Amino acid sequence: MEVVHYLIICRSLTYAQRTAKILERAGISAIVMKAPAGLSDKGCTYCVKISERWLSQALTALNTAGMSYGKVYISRGDINTEVQL
Amino acid sequence: MIYLDNAATSFQKPISVKKRVIYSMENFSSPGRGGYPAAMRAAECEYHCRELAAKLFNCSDPEKIVITSSATHGLNIAIKSLVHKGSRVVISGYEHNAVLRPLHAIGADLTVASSPLFDAESAFQAFASAIEKGTDVVVCNHVSNVFGFVLPVNDIAELCKSKGVPMIVDASQSAGTIDVDFEKLSAQFVAMPGHKGLYGPQGTGLLLCKDTAVPIMEGGTGGNSLMEDMPDFLPDRLEAGTHNMCGIAGLDAGLAFVIKKTPEAIRAYEYKLSRILIERLKNINRAEVFEAKHDQSAVFSFRVRGIDSEILADSLGRQGVAVRAGLHCAPLAHKTVGTVEGGTVRISPSVFNTTQEVLKAAEIIEQTVKKLR
Repeated sequence: MEVVHYLIICRSLTYAQRTAKILERAGISAIVMKAPAGLSDKGCTYCVKISERWLSQALTALNTAGMSYGKVYISRGDINTEVQL
Repeated sequence: MIYLDNAATSFQKPISVKKRVIYSMENFSSPGRGGYPAAMRAAECEYHCRELAAKLFNCSDPEKIVITSSATHGLNIAIKSLVHKGSRVVISGYEHNAVLRPLHAIGADLTVASSPLFDAESAFQAFASAIEKGTDVVVCNHVSNVFGFVLPVNDIAELCKSKGVPMIVDASQSAGTIDVDFEKLSAQFVAMPGHKGLYGPQGTGLLLCKDTAVPIMEGGTGGNSLMEDMPDFLPDRLEAGTHNMCGIAGLDAGLAFVIKKTPEAIRAYEYKLSRILIERLKNINRAEVFEAKHDQSAVFSFRVRGIDSEILADSLGRQGVAVRAGLHCAPLAHKTVGTVEGGTVRISPSVFNTTQEVLKAAEIIEQTVKKLR
């Protein structure tokens, strides 16, 4: 079965860590990782990976905390597709 | 050795700091440089360090905690972000060369808000009077590194806020022993070392930033690699180059140590030790101890007329009592108090000193003064 998850692109490692902490406090499991090449137009960056079922709650938690976020991608295997929010 | 030079560096560190430094050498690579476990473990540790600093200094956002190599590094960033050639800058009469030299190098138009030692009200009035004449930036020591004088930085910060003047606070001697509330303080920057009252290793420091700042060094940050300019967000903007991960890991453990003990308890303990020494040294013939019942940290200075401070400190050092003599990189403070001729001997205990140690140190100082006469 194909594993599907979302990648929330962050401007920096520290910002990704802060984002992950907020999500974890909201009960959403979040993993900080290097963003796949090509997902950032400014070069290397980090992202937060969350399970497919948590996107809506995650964005709500980030909005509530006043945290902005970059592009969001849905990741299916090696294929990442931008989510139009 | 009875180590009483903690205002320079807290030489005796918590065991947790030592363990963490060694652990980092064996388990951490560089944060922000990879996604593999050693890099991510380092990143977690570094973020934890920022979180602890944000907690201790009441800073709402860990991203505004910039990790520096020293207080001097942080002060240089802060000063060079706000001060330009000809800027009108007001400083206290107790500033360290970490403040004076960058200001001199820039060519700032300096006003010294001079005030008598241990007179916080006069210090505040001196700033109020100086700021009235037109001021672009205020820089103020929280605690004098020579005399332990606690300056009224909260009141001065309030004054600056009401006048719209940005303020830089040098918390080198207060961080870890006196409450530094960044949100309440309303300063633009607060700079501090990691290796004094925070019990981290040498080569570490913190700069708390209200907003962004001007980098004094450009280079790789691990992100935004395609951009030729430094990132416009903190902390990356001010943290070019490979991070001092061993130092940061140690500082993380040092912050945890201070938070657990609490700055209030640490200060009370150190102050008790200082008072024991002060009461003994006051009885030495021709000794002058600079002390106050209020507005003084555990740091204090003394001198003995007729004995060179460096010769006295050198003799004490050879007998196992580590203290610092001379001008302590703060000639302005000595000029303000009138001790620039010959300097003073400074004593600064830490939480690791004991009553027995300070009693022994007092005895050695008394005997040494007799011998040198």
